[in-house]
Amino acid sequence: MSTSSAGLAGKLGYSSIKVMLKGAPGWKKAGQKLVASNDFVANGNAIILDLRPAPAAASGHIKGAVNIPAAELAEAEDNFPPSKAAPFVLYGEPADIKMAMKTLKDWGYKSISLVEGGLIGWQAAGNTLVTGPAASEINWVRKLEEGEVGLDDFNKVAAGKGTGRIILDVRNLDETADGMFSGAINIPLDELDDRLTELPKDKEILVHCSTGARAEMAHQTLKKSGLTSLFLVATVECEEGICTAEE
Amino acid sequence: MRSRKLLFSVPAIMLATLITTGSSGVSAYATDLADSSQKVATATQTAKAKGKILGVSNKARTITIEEKTGPANVKFTDATVGMEHAQKGEAAIITYRMDGKNKIAITVEPKLAELPPGVSELQPEELIPLIALGPKQGNYLLIDSRPAGPYAAGHIPGAVSIPVEKMKSEGKSLLPDDHKDKLLIFYCGGPT
Repeated sequence: MSTSSAGLAGKLGYSSIKVMLKGAPGWKKAGQKLVASNDFVANGNAIILDLRPAPAAASGHIKGAVNIPAAELAEAEDNFPPSKAAPFVLYGEPADIKMAMKTLKDWGYKSISLVEGGLIGWQAAGNTLVTGPAASEINWVRKLEEGEVGLDDFNKVAAGKGTGRIILDVRNLDETADGMFSGAINIPLDELDDRLTELPKDKEILVHCSTGARAEMAHQTLKKSGLTSLFLVATVECEEGICTAEE
Repeated sequence: MRSRKLLFSVPAIMLATLITTGSSGVSAYATDLADSSQKVATATQTAKAKGKILGVSNKARTITIEEKTGPANVKFTDATVGMEHAQKGEAAIITYRMDGKNKIAITVEPKLAELPPGVSELQPEELIPLIALGPKQGNYLLIDSRPAGPYAAGHIPGAVSIPVEKMKSEGKSLLPDDHKDKLLIFYCGGPT
């Protein structure tokens, strides 16, 4: 993306152009931090973490922020969402931010940024603070990705309540030996290219595997072939013929 | 189908022969040539798939790669070289052979970005002092070429958002038009 943009700038007559090929991931790897847009902090589907002690947060915090004091972060792990894609935006003392970034990274979270300029920057940009106790529980719901089916929708079809939708199980035979959702078709991902004709063209195909990785790959194949499909991101487990799908 | 040019190369012959015949590869290769030129041609036709890796499944032993024509599935084996470069989201070049209808990966290599003429690379370490100065004092413009979503969730301090699509349609009006020699620095989500 950056190289195409740089090429376009060259064509527009700019003479001094550089590209940081390592991109945002390279910047993070060099120990540097990313900042969120203020609009994202105010309105985005993000978890805004106020790392200061509770009295400081009560005297003025960003609306919607969750106050988890840095000293209590380690024991609050159960309060954090299962999706590692959950985006976090942090503010507080620099040392606390550093520690929190490391903790969140160790827990597997991939999107961690800071409020630009901290609370001073936030206010300098014309934003206000709210007073009173801040929320202490994280209440964050993942938004579905393009092509993804919601867990509730999937479970309805698994319970036989979906019309015009069928389930495609792309797990291997050794996995389906423990059971499959009723009415599901099984085609292991590595056989899918050769067996597309077995799938209905007039139904929406809900693809699942055991986590979502193969389901997404299968969804791409189906979409390319002109079939209608959605994929499930969930942990699917089967025991004695009964399968469950959970976040 | 431009990206699937069929190649015929000596290293590929050696590799394919070694895979099928082990240490006696060279003599078997000679025998194959004498026996049936048709057989050798089939065994050594390789093609390349270039693009972003959409997914890797160890259970299905399959890599999905986004080619210009759409996503394609390539199988990998224990003999596939360079599986460490098959990472979701990274750009790669997969050299594969056909086995019936299946594509079997022989090698996976990282796809390195090619810089347009006159454009040079900047290392993150070189950017650090510039960010400390800020765009005004440092006399540069830092441009995030990713879509607006990832920019909003986290960008390099001081960067402005011009997604590559917007650059194509409105680039002229978004860049500083009075200083054509101003330093422009572009970055995105890594080498794709």
